[in-house]
Amino acid sequence: MTRYRHFAAFGLLLAAVLPAASQAPLTPRDSARHVLNRLGYGATPGEVDAIATEGVKRWIDRQLAVRDPRDPALAAREDGYDVLHTAARDMVAMHTDQLAKALKAQAGGADSMRRPAADAERREQRATGGKKELRDLNAELMSVTLLRATSSDHQLAEVLADFWTNHFNVFIGKGFDRAYFADYLEHTIRPNVLGRFETLLTATAKSPAMLFYLDNVESVADGTSMQALAPGRMQAAAGRGRFAGRAGAARGLGRTRQPDPAMVERVKARMPKGINENYARELMELHTLGVDGGYSQQDVGNVARILTGWGMDRRSNFEYRFLDGAHDRNAKSVLGVAFPAGHGEDEGMRLLKLLAEQPATMHHVSAKLCARFVADVPPDGCIDDAVRAWKQSGGEIREVVRAILYSPDFWAAANVQSKVKTPLEFVVSALRAVGGEPDATPRLVQQVAKLGQPLFQMTTPNGYPESQSEWVNSGALLARMNFAVALAGGRLPGAMVDLDRVVPLTTDHVVLVDGVNRAILAGGMTAQTRTTILREIADINNARDARALAVGLALGGPEFQRQ
Amino acid sequence: MTISRRAFIQAGGLAMVSLGADPLFLDRAAYALGDLRRGVAGGKTLVCLFQRGAVDGLSMIVPAGDSWYWQERQRIALPKDELISLDGMFALHPRLAPLKPLWDRKSLAIVHAVGSPSTTRSHFDAQDYMESGTPDRKSTPDGWANRYCSHAREHAETPFRAVAFGPQLPRTLAGSAPALAIDDLRTFGMRAARADGEQRLTRAFESLYQGAATGLVASSSAEGFEAIKMLKAADPTAIPPANGAQYPRGKLGTSMQQIAQLIKADLGMQVAFADVGGWDTHVNQGSGQGQLATRLDELAGALGAFTADLGERMRDVVVVTMSEFGRTVKENGTGGTDHGHGTAMMVLGGDVRGGQVYGRWPTLAPDARHEGRDLAVTTDFRAVFGEVLTGHLGAADLGSVFPGFTAGSRLAMFG
Repeated sequence: MTRYRHFAAFGLLLAAVLPAASQAPLTPRDSARHVLNRLGYGATPGEVDAIATEGVKRWIDRQLAVRDPRDPALAAREDGYDVLHTAARDMVAMHTDQLAKALKAQAGGADSMRRPAADAERREQRATGGKKELRDLNAELMSVTLLRATSSDHQLAEVLADFWTNHFNVFIGKGFDRAYFADYLEHTIRPNVLGRFETLLTATAKSPAMLFYLDNVESVADGTSMQALAPGRMQAAAGRGRFAGRAGAARGLGRTRQPDPAMVERVKARMPKGINENYARELMELHTLGVDGGYSQQDVGNVARILTGWGMDRRSNFEYRFLDGAHDRNAKSVLGVAFPAGHGEDEGMRLLKLLAEQPATMHHVSAKLCARFVADVPPDGCIDDAVRAWKQSGGEIREVVRAILYSPDFWAAANVQSKVKTPLEFVVSALRAVGGEPDATPRLVQQVAKLGQPLFQMTTPNGYPESQSEWVNSGALLARMNFAVALAGGRLPGAMVDLDRVVPLTTDHVVLVDGVNRAILAGGMTAQTRTTILREIADINNARDARALAVGLALGGPEFQRQ
Repeated sequence: MTISRRAFIQAGGLAMVSLGADPLFLDRAAYALGDLRRGVAGGKTLVCLFQRGAVDGLSMIVPAGDSWYWQERQRIALPKDELISLDGMFALHPRLAPLKPLWDRKSLAIVHAVGSPSTTRSHFDAQDYMESGTPDRKSTPDGWANRYCSHAREHAETPFRAVAFGPQLPRTLAGSAPALAIDDLRTFGMRAARADGEQRLTRAFESLYQGAATGLVASSSAEGFEAIKMLKAADPTAIPPANGAQYPRGKLGTSMQQIAQLIKADLGMQVAFADVGGWDTHVNQGSGQGQLATRLDELAGALGAFTADLGERMRDVVVVTMSEFGRTVKENGTGGTDHGHGTAMMVLGGDVRGGQVYGRWPTLAPDARHEGRDLAVTTDFRAVFGEVLTGHLGAADLGSVFPGFTAGSRLAMFG
């Protein structure tokens, strides 16, 4: 009998069985704290008690049952973020306009770069219809990500959105990815966080964000003719070369305009002439098989050739499009599997299916999920449980995650409170702990960046690391302490906090520290922390100041760094 | 040296006054600094500069005398008339012009066709191997610079012995020996709303972490608090650049300036680490202008300012540049280069025998290439690090720093 089945069979008794399964029994409150820390971004005031009362298992199943990551309760607040209602093509148009402006400024020499700011502002407003600039929209995307992590009841879906965004990392600052990223997050990653892995993999492979980030859009079969690629590029070039107002390049302006000859030359010179294996390599190393997944340099080249032609329509909507003329139609083989000559887009689909179904892929991705939910160095048993669920469900992420959460390793005492929070997890959990919320500015986003994890800005495709050794160091710890004290003191830019929801005002310091222990650390405060906080607030007579310092020290102290 | 010592004592005195009397704090800081004056032998520093993303060594240090360079790079080869010739065979990218005077003064050496024996073309694995110092072995828990620090423990301990500039500690410095990660010296420490709060917070958090934390969290926090105290006393960020040095704006320039400040403040820094990304030029790499040129501009600007700023003190400092691998000899279909093998490293300062390109040039002829496409590696990167550790820092035994590695013929870059 497999471990997974064993636990499924006793599913109804799970809450009762769990404490017995570990050396030091977890109380229902311990279990509630553990699932809130791992499946979510920590507890809000009163939440540990609520889940302990409801039953931990019921809460887990509720989180796993989520179909759409969007929490309806947040809909009204999400409405205020323009980025969620801005079409990708409009963001592309804004980016193209900015490029055109930069080119024009370059052509006009230094003087034109020093044009009065008001003039530049007017042009900017004309170009964007008086709306927000691209960077404001992207800042909004980061803000709404923090809002969702902090306030959504669909906590597991938010954690998985972060996980998959890192697994399929795209750097928001690379060229056109400034324009594609919002669409990538909202429509490629988020709808698939609890769906089928193959669907998610294919969605990322076809996303303009990934195509551009890892250069597949530049990868073409040897000998691809200019005509196969040219129309879109030429007309985009015409738009860039003749900056003439609104969003021209992205909106099919080529219909009536002759390309600028100088620009045509420029485009010709930059036209891709062969394969670029960047995406092919990361597809296998990071997204699917893992670096030890048994592929060769020859496989990398062949995967790149199979994916030639996977590009985008640069003429109209900048969406995914298979460019037949850029595709290599020769025979290839990958991992010993033949891909006969004469095929087009279908062989890419076949390839992604092949990669998604490889045992190495199941193992690699499961190990990463176990590292996220269980321990930095994931236990073999947990990975085995996950892989088994993967095979049985045909790659349903929901079932793989369920297997991990029902695995005895998830509940083992050694793995509880064993992981150090990432900067994102630390900031969001601190905010949740004090009943706070991000305000409508990007300032809290900047705080996360200061702690070492600027959202969506990991430049390399491996995404942000999961293990504590990457996040724990002297400087980072000091920054966390500073953050905690400022947050509790109500002095943190970008966050609104409500300490009355955490612990009532009192002049009795013992009552105060007991309250802080229960509310912030779910009862996990050590004697040393308790003594220290009591000592430091002893000479503070103002109840408000004493409370702020006690909360700040608890949030910045060692217990709260762990999850 | 005497000047900076004096400056330090002055700064320390000022700090005492401005902080108000906290005898405990003063005693400990003074004690630590007194130790340092006696302790760190020779005050030698090694600065490691990691070019992340695999720099194109062939267009950074151009093998101008190798005709294949010109044949294989129709679009991105450097224009011949812009190259800065070094020795007839090799030339600097024009944006490295600020480094030419160092070459002429023989304080800049270059190692070409250098790299890792590992054939991986994964950035992450290759960086990991270069930082762990154990190619093709992933289980190594620590970095080579950390192993050096934990091996050579005869010096007085200071939290500044090994410092990395950035929000995270790089693999090179990860391990059992203490190492600091400093994102920005100017903001390192506790910040409080009221002046008296700073010391209260420092004391409180120090106590919290001393008592309750274990492992990495405990040791990292302890180093952090010690470092705060020493920085308060020495105030390195008040030290201005000397000799008209102008650091380029941006992260690299700031890191190099702050490394110089820590060196001048005599805090016992032996190994410093900084990194700079943006070298992964798959598309539109450019030649005299463009992506690569822009990155090299910043690199040369930072190194030029750093050496000018330190002036005579560069005798005690060696800077080594490194990158995980090189790029394909042939440009790719998109005006860029893909992941390759051998690349070039620069070693400057200290007693380096500069004005020379070290290593055997394997040529770029197709049959001499690694896997038919890349510059072959003829010098193991560990040989370079090893000579720097022995020749500059005076390491006696590299057995534990690079386990299982013995360099073939010595490059003899030092002494």
